[in-house]
Amino acid sequence: MTEPEPKSTPDEPWPVRVVSQKVGAWVARLGWVWVDGQVAQISRRPGTSVVFLTLRDPSADLSLTVTAHRDVLDAGAPELAEGARVTMHAKPEFYPARGSLSLRADEIRQVGLGELLARLEKLKKLLGAEGLFARERKRRLPFLPQRIGLITGRASAAERDVLMNTRRRWPSVEFRTVNVPVQGPTAVPQIIDALKVLDNDDTIDVIVIARGGGSVEDLLPFSDEALCRAVFACRTPVVSAIGHETDAPLLDYVADLRASTPTDAAKRIVPDLGEETQLIEHARRRLDRGVLTLIDREAHRLEAWRSRPALARPETLIDQREAEMGQLRDRATRSLEHRIRRADDDLRHTLARLRALSPKATLERGYAIVQRADGHVVRAAGEVAAGDVLRVRLAEGEVHTEVQEQG
Amino acid sequence: MSELSYEQARGELATVVEKLEQGGASLEESLALWERGEKLADICQRFLDGARDRIETARAARDS
Repeated sequence: MTEPEPKSTPDEPWPVRVVSQKVGAWVARLGWVWVDGQVAQISRRPGTSVVFLTLRDPSADLSLTVTAHRDVLDAGAPELAEGARVTMHAKPEFYPARGSLSLRADEIRQVGLGELLARLEKLKKLLGAEGLFARERKRRLPFLPQRIGLITGRASAAERDVLMNTRRRWPSVEFRTVNVPVQGPTAVPQIIDALKVLDNDDTIDVIVIARGGGSVEDLLPFSDEALCRAVFACRTPVVSAIGHETDAPLLDYVADLRASTPTDAAKRIVPDLGEETQLIEHARRRLDRGVLTLIDREAHRLEAWRSRPALARPETLIDQREAEMGQLRDRATRSLEHRIRRADDDLRHTLARLRALSPKATLERGYAIVQRADGHVVRAAGEVAAGDVLRVRLAEGEVHTEVQEQG
Repeated sequence: MSELSYEQARGELATVVEKLEQGGASLEESLALWERGEKLADICQRFLDGARDRIETARAARDS
């Protein structure tokens, strides 16, 4: 029954039956698809062979209703429990009566843990190849965060561990905690929302995603691709503190810092106040010592200069000069005496010579010196004439005589 | 004189003492040199005492 293709217009609107029929046609065009999802609800209506399931997207807050024949379910996924991961072969169906849409599945397979882990490994290689784990992309944590964003289960051990241990190390630290489910189908979407909220909060400079230990399935949300991409896109550094030491969900690889446990995260995000104060105290002491030793050394050197005789006892200068003067004076005196002595010797010597030359000794031996009036010493009788007055010098005194005759 | 730095004062003090010790300067010069040496030593001493005081006060402020 193909309807003519006239366009619906305000004047000639299509009746509901036409619209819902067209919608049904459009929906059917998708055809059979394989769907991957997580079972949120299963309801087996008694008395009917139809089973209703709610299938959720593991990463997004979306779900679809699925109808399947009981046999299909029992054959493909016996004892299927809520929370299980399944793959279905189904096609969309539109029920005009209520205008509702759901998938009808003709094959349901439960995804075993092995399969899940295999998918996880594949995802890990994919994200690795894309560089989401690259070390150089990892952001450094602030040494002392202003405010810490914490994403964790409500009143969980992980929450207590992070808060208590961080505060013990740095009492004045501030937290903004967003509690989220940490397992099950709704975990990932809520964690991603919390991440966005905290990332946009400028007062927060580090975000911690913390969860205690759990089974592999419990931790699967922390290897979810959408979550990993969201963490990678975060501007604020993210610390992953999931499970025990041995657990390594993909979040560990993409986060800026991997803490082995929530308690370990506390140690990595804040310094220890006690240690830091000690460090500062130690540095301060070394500072003091350094300067004081410098001053002491300079003081000693100054003391050394000051105690040098030239400064300490200036009188040494004067003493030196005095000593020099004394020596000079002595030398002067000595040379004077020397000279005097020599002079004295000369005198005596000359005197001796004088005496030797002087007639005094001859006179004392009885000789006399005769001089004429003109002083001429008479050596020959011819030199005088009678009547001359002569001066006769004797050893003692002199006599004046007159010449009587020449002999 | 007072705008000398510690190092300058200490350096000059060293030369003054060496000159005095070598001798050869006149008495008048030696006296002048000696006086200068004393003055320089005082300057150095004041620098060192000042430095010590600054530390003591800083420490006192810190520990109070």
